[in-house]
Amino acid sequence: MADKVMLTNRIVLRSIMPLFKILHEEDDSLLKHFLTRFEGVIQLAVKGTDIGAYVELKDRRLDVVQGIHPSPDILLPFKHAAGMNALFTGGIPVFGGFPKGLTKLGLLVKFVTLLLGLLILMPNVNPKAPEKRLLKVKMIMYMVTNALSQLNKGGDEDMNAWTAKQPDRIYQMSVEPGGPAAYLRVKGGKTKAGRGLYTRKAPFVHMKFNGLDGAYKVLAESKDTVSATADGDIKLEGSPEYAGNIGSFMMRIQDMLMPPKK
Amino acid sequence: MAEGMTWSVTDGDKLTQAEVYGEVLSQLGDRYPDIVALTADLATSTKIGRFGKKYPERFINVGIAENSMFGMAAGLALAGLRPVVSTFAAFTSLRSAEQVRTDICYQNLNVKIISTHAGISFGQAGSTHHCTEDLAVMRSFANMTVIVPADGLETGNAVAAAMEWPGPVYIRVGRGFEPPVNKTQDYGYAIGKAITMHDGKDVTIIACGVGVLQAVRAAEVLGKQGLSARVINMHTIKPIDRDAIMQAVRETRRIITVEDHSTMGGLGSAVAEVIVEGGKACAFRKLGVPDCYAIVGYPEDLYHHYGFDADGIVATVGELMRLEIEEDEDWEDEA
Repeated sequence: MADKVMLTNRIVLRSIMPLFKILHEEDDSLLKHFLTRFEGVIQLAVKGTDIGAYVELKDRRLDVVQGIHPSPDILLPFKHAAGMNALFTGGIPVFGGFPKGLTKLGLLVKFVTLLLGLLILMPNVNPKAPEKRLLKVKMIMYMVTNALSQLNKGGDEDMNAWTAKQPDRIYQMSVEPGGPAAYLRVKGGKTKAGRGLYTRKAPFVHMKFNGLDGAYKVLAESKDTVSATADGDIKLEGSPEYAGNIGSFMMRIQDMLMPPKK
Repeated sequence: MAEGMTWSVTDGDKLTQAEVYGEVLSQLGDRYPDIVALTADLATSTKIGRFGKKYPERFINVGIAENSMFGMAAGLALAGLRPVVSTFAAFTSLRSAEQVRTDICYQNLNVKIISTHAGISFGQAGSTHHCTEDLAVMRSFANMTVIVPADGLETGNAVAAAMEWPGPVYIRVGRGFEPPVNKTQDYGYAIGKAITMHDGKDVTIIACGVGVLQAVRAAEVLGKQGLSARVINMHTIKPIDRDAIMQAVRETRRIITVEDHSTMGGLGSAVAEVIVEGGKACAFRKLGVPDCYAIVGYPEDLYHHYGFDADGIVATVGELMRLEIEEDEDWEDEA
């Protein structure tokens, strides 16, 4: 049985950390322009393992790379995977030693800015500005489709069983008209998360959100799909059974990434 | 909208085929005081119960006695009424085939039959509830008009048009969850007149029922691959629109039919008959359930299994056009 902590860690590293790139690219603030002057590598790693990913800032670009960098400028070592997960899921991170490179203040502030930017994903953060709401919707769409694929690649038995017998199928979500889109491709046990509209096949299930408001209600405010469908916030095209299945997996991911109950 | 077709369902493009049909029939009850509805204990499943709630004095539940129901409908028609009968397609076309043929069609009576859960649309219910033979049976009955609407709005149009159409009419719908393909009811629906949903020059996909949406989706995908596919919604299987078929043969030279029915005796066979009689050669493929009893499963899985979903249509077009469509084998997540 797949370890839930390791699955969550996989999602943290491969589905959430890459969102730093979106934040970096979409943020047009003066602070960003100031902070992009600082270049370097920030490594997050589970101490004594090869579990980790690093953020590389170079030539005003930001990349998230899986694995361990040989000489990061800043190193945040965690005691275990759960300790790292907590940093991203609203818990208390557990470090496995003293972080290195904290004197590189510009780079550190940049990273902290990015971390704080992820707070937009939290259910209780409801920005009013349309561009921020759009950013939240886009980030959730990218994160969820990617996390669904990670659930499969990480060995979740239920997800593996669900994907194993399916022919080549596209589970598409999009904000209509012309808004952000993301998809999950499934074929005989394999999955791929992609961005935009998949053009080589018609979607098997297509969740069409009615504008930004419709998408926001469902993705950010967790409005249930039955009410959302009745209210016209979402239009589900395709197999109702499989749409229900993927909805259940999305709920599971949401539970995995929720702050621990007190 | 054709003359006499006065109905309007709020959010009709969001309702299922069966829901729209139940609602439209209820509306038509005012216009046609001679409508009397009959069910064989399936009022809720087939949605004819909506009419019964509005007009209880014009609604008859005969119990689980389909054969008697069709006989009663014949009698009511002979008495000058306009009976509308509804049950599952398997019961209409297989169990009660004799009564439909001899009591209704032989006498050319004004009975409208609306059959639900047709094809493999109720795939998970098992073989007893599949019905992949009804079009073959019904179109072979003289005097019978056979209609397979593409979605809820078209079902509404078909039910309304059937009231003005003489003689027996068989309207075939699915289990009720079929997604819509039309956005409005006003697109010029007329019995016997095919509708071009998507124009194209390389190949023509002639579809009915749930096949229409699959064909439209396939045409969109094919368009992105540089292929121009015409999609014809052949909602009336009998009398079939011969002109639309022969025009497609002349202009595209490649025809694919798509139906949730056996590939023997249904839309594909009807189209093939027209082409053969037309004397013009073309490449031709029939997509549907092959000569077998369908396996059990969700309809979307079965449509794929038998190759008449959008993917199967695209693959068949590729085969017909002698195209090698490269597989997409990139499984790296975008991040």
